[in-house]
Amino acid sequence: MSSPGTVTAAEPRTTKSAPAILRAVNLKRTYADGQVTALNDVSLEVHAGEYVAIMGRSGSGKSTLLNLLGALDRPDQGEIYFEGEPLSKQRNLDSFRAKRIGFVFQSFYLLPTLTAVENVQIPMFEGPLNPKQRADRAHELLKIVNLEHRLNHLPMELSVGERQRVAIARALANEPAMLLADEPTGNLDSTNEAEVLNLFDQLHAERNMTLVVITHSQDVADRAQRTIHLRDGRIVSDVTGHAASHSSRK
Amino acid sequence: MRLWNVVVKNVLRRKTRSLLTASGVAVAIGSVVALLGVSRGYQQTSADLYDNRGIDLVVVRAGVALASALDESYVELLRKLPHVARVNYGLSDNVSFGNDVISIRILGWPPGSSAFETLELREGRGLKDSDAAMDGTGGVLLGSSLAEERLNKKVGDTTEVEGTPFKVVGIFQSTNVLENGSAVLPLLALQTIMQREGQVNEFLITIEKRSPDLDRVTIDELRKQIGALEKDGERLGLVAKTTNEFVNSRAEMQMSRAMSFVISGIALLIGSVGMLNTMIMSVLERTQEIGLLRAIGWRKSRITRMILLEAFVLSVLGCAVGTAAAFGLTLALSQVPVVQGVLQRGITPGVVGAGFLMSMVVGLAGGLYPAYRGASLPPTEALRYE
Repeated sequence: MSSPGTVTAAEPRTTKSAPAILRAVNLKRTYADGQVTALNDVSLEVHAGEYVAIMGRSGSGKSTLLNLLGALDRPDQGEIYFEGEPLSKQRNLDSFRAKRIGFVFQSFYLLPTLTAVENVQIPMFEGPLNPKQRADRAHELLKIVNLEHRLNHLPMELSVGERQRVAIARALANEPAMLLADEPTGNLDSTNEAEVLNLFDQLHAERNMTLVVITHSQDVADRAQRTIHLRDGRIVSDVTGHAASHSSRK
Repeated sequence: MRLWNVVVKNVLRRKTRSLLTASGVAVAIGSVVALLGVSRGYQQTSADLYDNRGIDLVVVRAGVALASALDESYVELLRKLPHVARVNYGLSDNVSFGNDVISIRILGWPPGSSAFETLELREGRGLKDSDAAMDGTGGVLLGSSLAEERLNKKVGDTTEVEGTPFKVVGIFQSTNVLENGSAVLPLLALQTIMQREGQVNEFLITIEKRSPDLDRVTIDELRKQIGALEKDGERLGLVAKTTNEFVNSRAEMQMSRAMSFVISGIALLIGSVGMLNTMIMSVLERTQEIGLLRAIGWRKSRITRMILLEAFVLSVLGCAVGTAAAFGLTLALSQVPVVQGVLQRGITPGVVGAGFLMSMVVGLAGGLYPAYRGASLPPTEALRYE
């Protein structure tokens, strides 16, 4: 950890004594042939069942960090350990992402030609399920996100909130160890935002899901147990408890 | 859900564009199938002319692709060779009939030749030596489709062959479409008209009994002997070919094959470029979607397979429509009077297979690069693509 956490009012559901599901050590990522440093010397741990918000201004390195943590990109320096295994030793990051990470994006990225139930099955192609089992599981997941009445609707026939809930169901398709969300409520109104956040709370509470959420929104960060602030590619604070996240931004 | 569902839905997403691309492939494949079909049909019909008569070897002048000129008297030398049961010979050419109609295939055979055995006389009589007269009393036999569809002549009418009048003495029917569109004159008459006295194009050899013990070695030996024939101490320069070899070596067949090859190549290129354009556009439009698929763990190979399958679906669709159109086109063409007696549809399973194979090449050529490009997109960049 680059800075010590401070436990405040909100009691975390999972303590840091739980095993670290993810450990990043001295991450550095540059772009434009090393001219732009997006992340520099970032280290952090995320524990199993933890709900972490990562905040920071545009250009602070949030998305770069999410890309690295989600194995969408590789660091120039440093190492990421997932469940104790270094990602640099993973021969197939595609397979790793498919099985271990669930992604939720601001723009949902649902395939427009596929119905809700079909969209949810997309990640399952990389898993062991047969077509029938995929469909059954997609039904189940859409039920969890309260969309069992919208199974056969195309994305354009769904509200933005419903689309994001389909995307969350999709992220859960292969029972990932961790959910990474990049501005998941960025395109939602307050009602839909609350619905999505409630869903995250539910996943965290009921399934002990590890959640890492990148956000600009204080309301979103307030739901998390822990808030990490980034500035100019470095962690400037790492605070456990949402009350502290307000003060640490200053 | 299977990958196929995703592929089909992607193809149907831009219906007009998919339809246009498939139409491009259809035109390309359709032209090739029709062309190959006609060419193959002509080739088969030509080969049948010989096979139906039980001809084993065709003797022509060595090294000549166009109609060769041979001395009629060589027949005696050929008849003396071992295992030779029968030697027919004749002259053939394309001539004008009357004032308007040109390029009708005419055969010159000696009256009484066994070559007439495969022609069924429907009306009138066969040819006699006296039919070789050039004073207007000579006689000609017309094939049924030539007499009825092209010349509108019946027995007793007079027709002009290269300006010389001949009486239609009989109308024959053959199982061969090419022969039905032809006329037959006494050899002497055709030699006179073509100013090729004493000359024939080819000798047609039937080997005795066609017995099973007459193996390939014996036939090869006979071919060697024909190649070595001499007269007055001079080699005759003959070559004996099997009927298939002979038909394939003819100049018009070679030209037809060359044209098929060139047109197929052009069609292949046009089809592939159209497909490439469509697939590149399609991948470009779906950059973010492909980025998402990569992000959630789809392997590059699955992305490649998806895009290639999309190209193949369009190709197969185009191939099916094109092949059906080729069947229709050749059927319609075979009904046109001017080509009756020449064109026989020959869209065999082999030709359809060639069209299908070509459509696969179009799919592969048009889909491979976009598929590679799509699969190579780094997910982080692809997701940012606007």
